[in-house]
Amino acid sequence: MVQINLPQNSKIQKGKYYKDKSGSKNIRKVNIYRWDPSTGENPRIDTYEVDMDNCPSKVLDLLNKIKNEIDSTIAYRRSCAHGVCGSCAMNMDGKNGLACTKPHNEIKGDINIYPLPHLKVQKDLIGDLSTLYKQYASVEPWLKNSKNDDSKENFQSVKDRSKLDGLYECIMCACCSTACPSYWWNGDKYLGPAVLLQAYRWIIDSRDEERKERLKKVADELKLYRCHTIMNCTNACPKGLNPAKAIASIKKMLATS
Amino acid sequence: MKDKNPLSPHIQIYNWHISSLISISHRIIGIINIIIVTLICFWVALLILGSSNYQLVQNFFETYIGKFFIVGTVWSFSFQALCEIRHLFWDLGYGFELKTSNITGLVVIFGSFILTILILGKNIIL
Repeated sequence: MVQINLPQNSKIQKGKYYKDKSGSKNIRKVNIYRWDPSTGENPRIDTYEVDMDNCPSKVLDLLNKIKNEIDSTIAYRRSCAHGVCGSCAMNMDGKNGLACTKPHNEIKGDINIYPLPHLKVQKDLIGDLSTLYKQYASVEPWLKNSKNDDSKENFQSVKDRSKLDGLYECIMCACCSTACPSYWWNGDKYLGPAVLLQAYRWIIDSRDEERKERLKKVADELKLYRCHTIMNCTNACPKGLNPAKAIASIKKMLATS
Repeated sequence: MKDKNPLSPHIQIYNWHISSLISISHRIIGIINIIIVTLICFWVALLILGSSNYQLVQNFFETYIGKFFIVGTVWSFSFQALCEIRHLFWDLGYGFELKTSNITGLVVIFGSFILTILILGKNIIL
């Protein structure tokens, strides 16, 4: 169901203000979404004044600086810091992306950081992605081949392999799915761009033998056709992939097969 | 997930892009166009009932609101038509690159106004 307003327990309140103590002249304000599961309170926006003279270039560096030097209670996921693991996906300046690859000098004005949109928040910037992972498991993202013979190489021509370019690079950071209004309103039924891109990655793989079954499984009014080509997914993808095109390719395959 | 966990903000904080703006306007204008088509059907039905009714509608079209209605109708049909053409290309698998989709989006917006002027011609400044 389309629900524009946030539920009562999710209304955002004004939070604390952390004044800069370093005395630096190069100060930026960073607004961060906070929610602590141990108190019964609503989420709030805390504002931090950060000394930008001693801060490396990415938003993740900024968060690390706040956690190390100003407020150690802030929680967020991060791991590789090189745009490979997809842990630090969040909403920065109104757009989803990876904090480790987003330079903060690209953001004008105050820096607003929220968790990925329309997820149940577990703490601060950490959203609950378990529904998405369940949906990912439902497309059975592994090679299905009856001739599975470990003693021999499973050949694939250069041409067939090139069909996987722009698909295999996906790191499942969920930036695209949580940017999609269709996924916001129908996230329990619609698979969302990330999972559909993965579904297409296995449908198009020349070594996979269950293309027909895979297509049949995904061909559903809600699972697939809730995509209305809003293109927020492609706009958000930090790896420059095109989930909208992958979804359209599935639709096209279904229409022509 | 337990109900006590809050829902993170979504449409309240997410930036609008050309593609998402056109997508939602396409939907709204689609609904408006259905209403307009219904009104046109009533208008045609009125013709059957005689000339006095025809004059009634004619008088409405002479007013500023009536003229706005005509221009608005032509624009909303132009917008919808261009959007649908864009969707046809998408259905064929073309135009998904970010740059292309942004350009075609702008073509839809500006094209709808240009098409309105072309269709109405001189009549637009009555």
